[in-house]
Amino acid sequence: MRLQTVELRSSRFWLDTLSKIWAWLFLLGMVAFFSVAGDGFLTPFNIQAILANMAILMIIAIGQTYVIISGGIDLSVGWVMGMAAVISATVMNRLPESSPLWLVVLSGLFAGLLAAWIAGLVNGILIARLNVPPFIATLGMFGIARGIGFLLSGGMPVPIYVRGLGFLGNGFLLYHHPTAGWSFLSPPPGLAQAELRNLTGYFPFVVIVMLVLLVIAHIILSRTKFGLHTYAIGGNKEAAMRAGIPVARRLVAIYLLSATFAAIAGIVYNVRFTNGAANAGEAMLLDTVAAVVIGGASLFGGAGTVIGTLIGALIISVLANGLVILRVNPFWQFIAVGIVIIIAVLIDQAREKFAQE
Amino acid sequence: MIRHFHIPLWLVVLGILALTLSACTAVAPAPAAQAPAAATEAPAAEAPTVALIYGVRGDGFYITMEAGARAKAQELGVNFFADGPAQFQPTLQVPILDAVIAQRPDAICIAATDRQALIEPMRRAHDAGIHMISVDTFIGDTGGDYTAPELNWMLSYIGSDNVQGGEIGCSAIIEAMGGSGKFYIQTTQPGVSTVEQRVEGCMKAIEATNGAVQLIGMDYNDDNAAKAAEQTAAVLSAHPDLGGIFGTNLFSARGAAQAVANAGLTGVVKVANFDAPEDAIVALRENVVDIVIAQHPYEMGEKCIEFAVAAVNGNFDAIPKRYPTGYTIITRENVDTEEAQRSIYKSE
Repeated sequence: MRLQTVELRSSRFWLDTLSKIWAWLFLLGMVAFFSVAGDGFLTPFNIQAILANMAILMIIAIGQTYVIISGGIDLSVGWVMGMAAVISATVMNRLPESSPLWLVVLSGLFAGLLAAWIAGLVNGILIARLNVPPFIATLGMFGIARGIGFLLSGGMPVPIYVRGLGFLGNGFLLYHHPTAGWSFLSPPPGLAQAELRNLTGYFPFVVIVMLVLLVIAHIILSRTKFGLHTYAIGGNKEAAMRAGIPVARRLVAIYLLSATFAAIAGIVYNVRFTNGAANAGEAMLLDTVAAVVIGGASLFGGAGTVIGTLIGALIISVLANGLVILRVNPFWQFIAVGIVIIIAVLIDQAREKFAQE
Repeated sequence: MIRHFHIPLWLVVLGILALTLSACTAVAPAPAAQAPAAATEAPAAEAPTVALIYGVRGDGFYITMEAGARAKAQELGVNFFADGPAQFQPTLQVPILDAVIAQRPDAICIAATDRQALIEPMRRAHDAGIHMISVDTFIGDTGGDYTAPELNWMLSYIGSDNVQGGEIGCSAIIEAMGGSGKFYIQTTQPGVSTVEQRVEGCMKAIEATNGAVQLIGMDYNDDNAAKAAEQTAAVLSAHPDLGGIFGTNLFSARGAAQAVANAGLTGVVKVANFDAPEDAIVALRENVVDIVIAQHPYEMGEKCIEFAVAAVNGNFDAIPKRYPTGYTIITRENVDTEEAQRSIYKSE
């Protein structure tokens, strides 16, 4: 009898461990595979390119993590991002040419945030106060933000004519050349075209922004009362109410937060592509949900972490990059991500089943 | 005891499932990956490597371009590979560009999916020491003029003059309409340079009639034939006397032709289809569309390899900043001629 209990605990222990680390193992296995099989995969340039290209997805997915942990879903993130990108691009263009770069970016960010906050507030009030299901409320906002984005931009991407903006989105903190050495913020001067081949940049600005947001969001979720409440609401809304948690206010805040991250992603799109397009986030929605779910969050709420979402986003982005390097048809990427999502859900359900036994 | 046995079984099943699935994702693509890799290893070690990044996968236009580039690459002993996004979207194309840059080819020919969004990523490739050539679409606000100081790092823009294409295409419809009547344009999405220019050229052809032809509107269909059909149907009910429609690409023309057929107006309302994949030719033969405007993607592919090789050899005088490829207007009368047949985009 005693023996059996020990073994039961140990298999539960292993399943629990597996459910926590499988995504890490999968990511590591994938990186190892692509490093061996793919020419040019494991280079400083490529690794940083993966991270920089992932920044927009990751930033939106942070907000989505909070929403999914609270037991909801935000379908409007992609189009709220696009709307914010269009509005901030328009504002950046209106500023006088002599404005310093930081002022331009901050003004754009603020304008984009304002618009996104209205969207987030409406989502939050519909869901928390008027009891509209999150799927429906945010689907409505999906359409509204899409329409506003296209109306404001006339359907055209809005090019941003601000000097130095593209550098912010595509530049690096440090540059290194084997002969010319290290330089700060710009490549060493006087390099010929042929020598540029050996130049490597380190620490892309957008990756730094992504990491800072990631750390802040992680701390809020894991160390503050707000984070605790988010889990409590997703775990059992009734119980959370009875425990005296201001559920409605917290839910509004969570959807505001999601819209905030979407707007920030919009500004990152602005600086990276030097334009603002209403459909900038069109391809993002499913990937954000996929990243959150692969990262171990439950679509029923109550479980998930920001770090888990990071792993999910990394898996999606490494796949996208590695399959190109191996010259695999990009349509395989959809299939691969789909399979990874199903594995994630299977493992999660198996763990739930054990927890009940 | 039963329960005791049950648990590890579950674990084993799950473990195996996870392993096989992950093995599938990791291993399945490998054979597909090896074929092109082996093919490109054939030429001598010193051979330059050229990559083609097209605008969207599975489009006859780009498949034909790739075929042209591949044939020329084989002829000149160049390592060649091609790739592109699943949708015509800069957010999907830029990661592919970065993955290609990571492999440090000598030159990249790219059909940019957005003329603004791709500037910085392409400059990044140039900064990595890679010769950059635009095919089909251009970047920047200079209308494809790469002699402009902010874009002179771009080697060349190889592509049709879309203004000219729109103009000769629409002139052909106007002629078929008998020189007067109401005219409508179905187009894809704003912000795509090629399509915008086709519209611009078409406007020129309309203006040249001095008011005999009247443009009653233009709609965006998001590259979706169903949407194009819906919009055209609405226009046809408002203007039953419509004379001609210019579809700025295959989906636009196909949707417009569908609506015309549903209204029982096939042959009465003339429809022109920009671009010439095989199904546009089928539609032409079946009287669904009346005019097909063919670009020369095969030639674009060939030229991009030629220019890339010239750049690698330092022979920059041989590379024009702008190389316009021509057009062929295909109608039911000339569709079987050799010239028309050569301009049809092949799907494989």
